[in-house]
Amino acid sequence: MGRAIAGRLIHLIWIMIAVSFLTFLLMYIAPGDAAAKKLNAQGIAVSEEILEQTRASMGLDRPFFVQYGDWALRALRGDLGSSYKDGFPVAEKLLKALGRTAVLTLSSLALALLIAIPFALLSALKRDSAVDNITRLFSFIGNSLPNFLISVLLMYFLSVRLRLLPLTAGESAKSLVMPCLALSIPICGRFIRQFRAELLEELGKPYVSGAILRGVKRRFVLKSVLHNAAIPMLTVVGLSVGTLMGGSVVIETIFRWPGLGKLAMDAITNRDYPVIQGFVLFTSTVYVVINLLIDICYRWIDPRLRKAGGDA
Amino acid sequence: MKQMRRMLALILTICALLTLTAHGEQALAEGGAKWLKLAESFAYPSLDAHKDYYGWYTSIYGITETLFRVADDLSIEPLLAEDYEVSEDGKTWTFQLADACFSNGAPVTAQMVARNFQRLAECNERFAYLSEFSIAADGEKTLVIATPGVYPTMLSDLTAPEMAIMDLDGTADFDGAPVGTGPFAVKSFEPEGTVEVERNTAYWNGEVGLDGVTFFYMQDDDTKLMAMQAGEIDGYTSVTAAAKEIFSADPDTYTVTSIPATRLQFYVLNKTRLDDAVRGAINLTVDCDAIAAYLGGTVSPAVGPFSAAAPYGQVTKPAPDPEAAKALLEADGYALNDDGVYEKDGAPIRLNICYYAARSLDSIALIMQEQLRNIGVDAVLTVQEDPDATYVATGDYDIALYCMIADKAGDPYYCVDALYRRDSKWALGGFPTDGSEALINELQYETDIERRAVLANEVVQMTIDDNAFGYVGLFNKTTVTRKGVSGISENCPFDFYAVSADTNME
Repeated sequence: MGRAIAGRLIHLIWIMIAVSFLTFLLMYIAPGDAAAKKLNAQGIAVSEEILEQTRASMGLDRPFFVQYGDWALRALRGDLGSSYKDGFPVAEKLLKALGRTAVLTLSSLALALLIAIPFALLSALKRDSAVDNITRLFSFIGNSLPNFLISVLLMYFLSVRLRLLPLTAGESAKSLVMPCLALSIPICGRFIRQFRAELLEELGKPYVSGAILRGVKRRFVLKSVLHNAAIPMLTVVGLSVGTLMGGSVVIETIFRWPGLGKLAMDAITNRDYPVIQGFVLFTSTVYVVINLLIDICYRWIDPRLRKAGGDA
Repeated sequence: MKQMRRMLALILTICALLTLTAHGEQALAEGGAKWLKLAESFAYPSLDAHKDYYGWYTSIYGITETLFRVADDLSIEPLLAEDYEVSEDGKTWTFQLADACFSNGAPVTAQMVARNFQRLAECNERFAYLSEFSIAADGEKTLVIATPGVYPTMLSDLTAPEMAIMDLDGTADFDGAPVGTGPFAVKSFEPEGTVEVERNTAYWNGEVGLDGVTFFYMQDDDTKLMAMQAGEIDGYTSVTAAAKEIFSADPDTYTVTSIPATRLQFYVLNKTRLDDAVRGAINLTVDCDAIAAYLGGTVSPAVGPFSAAAPYGQVTKPAPDPEAAKALLEADGYALNDDGVYEKDGAPIRLNICYYAARSLDSIALIMQEQLRNIGVDAVLTVQEDPDATYVATGDYDIALYCMIADKAGDPYYCVDALYRRDSKWALGGFPTDGSEALINELQYETDIERRAVLANEVVQMTIDDNAFGYVGLFNKTTVTRKGVSGISENCPFDFYAVSADTNME
């Protein structure tokens, strides 16, 4: 196990180098730069002379490898630099946005799992019944609705019509409800469909029929089924965590919950290289760490993997 | 099943609690003070008026003021400066300051104003030119600014919100709580989030109507619309066409104000690639009224780059006339081919319209393409993410669409200089001539305001007559307020004003 973790961490270093280099290169060759974006932010034209001076003061007039090397050396020392847009430290901005994204991600996932697991189980056990059909219909609708539409519908009904939830509450628990719902509804729909499929596959296996015929109590059979279906379900959940931790620009913008998605989008729009680089490093680390955690969970759930000692 | 019941009970309990807390908050607001709630589309990480464009927002929030301000009719009027005089050679400006004070009660002195301008020159690239001026105090209330050359746009420059005067000695936190002279002082500041300001009890320029204002950062148009409908905010600007329609349908609840503002949509016709007849035909074909109608009242049709209300906005252009456009092409030897496209010497007209997908330029490009197709001129659309780094920089366009603020602060020179100069980025379009350059040089140093307007009008008229530019629309500043709310600069075309001492609510 220790060797597997060490192997993943070594992979992480290579991934970070490759991803940060490619991102820097892509931003470098894209038209426009941070100086022009900063100075023209309000649609005011500035002279080429001021632009050149600003480019020089930001170090944007240096060759690509010098800029990248400078950034990489500072990043190695733990300094992600300052935002080109506002001069504030990148690490500080990332941490602040990360906190918000983490709260939103975890609460949305928890809500989605809380709804998806019982409904998927019910749907699988009562296959082709009215309950199954209704669950499948709602999960299909939830999965198909785009985030912005769910958000607008939630705002309209919960804020405008029912006046239950405010749109101006700031970062309170109350203001978390709507973005959390908007994010978890499509995830929930996806989870129900995928969990149901995994559970049906497991329920169709001979050991389940054998156990029922031998008179094993239903709840013990169900426990085994859930245990065996847990690995593919965990993969689905793990992938969703990775995606959600990158942030959701639409939800964050609509519900005034500025997290990593909005931070990254603003940084790309403003060619704010230090922030983009910091975001890329962070998300690649999250993906690798989550994959590692899932692998560890696989071994914990499935004793065969522990005995084999293989890399899942 | 038992678990399902528990879950249902939990959800119902949460809903009940939320309902109770929502009602509680409403009651608190009803019994509260005169506190206005507005939404803003932008928010910044700092309130330091001298940095970046943050001064626009300290001005909007009513925290900072400048020596002069631009009135609703685009004239420049004194604010922190009560009087001024300029030397005969036009190089020395002497300002008498008003008897103003900061929100902490400290008086505004000429020394403090000079130090503010020096700080601005150091921390904002766009104002680095101030370091070339000699700025000094002459006594407690007299400020003297000496410029190396004649500088007629001094008053206009002094209206820029970045030229705000802050108490540099009395401010401990420039990013979070600058001390200004405005009718409001910072109560709480959340970087890139909500800002609360409260009445400046020491305000020097009259009674402040409100106890305070909360500015909520809402970037999304639907969020603003619904926050307004839910009664959570009392107003906002940049109302979309769809929202405007909704608010206008309920005049008992909302007041909608729409005026032409300063952001211009225009196109440049590349003289190096298009002959006179084609450029003339394009300008006779593009129907700005139809474009403005399509954009649902978010823009007003433009004749020139400036509002027709300004003395420097007095230009004319021919009304759209597709038949005259066709006749112009035919008189120049163009004839319709089998595809219904005008061609000359076997070469059909195929224009390249370059644009970027912002400020409704994508819609304008599509409408122009259709209008041109209707007279027999073919056009392809090329979209770029960054116009300045692509088609504007290379000159690789037949028609280049663009949007910018044309009137920065009540003077035409900034726009004329940015668009029509020989060394401007638009010179690749081939407009500048010796005649236009001479007029712009004269405008640069002309101190008489009336003569400045005449010169600006002459230059702009040249761009129209030469069919070098086409002016499509001026973005409207559309503001919605709840009935009873007044004075949030809804009739001022500039984006950097909002609340003032006169802002009030019933």
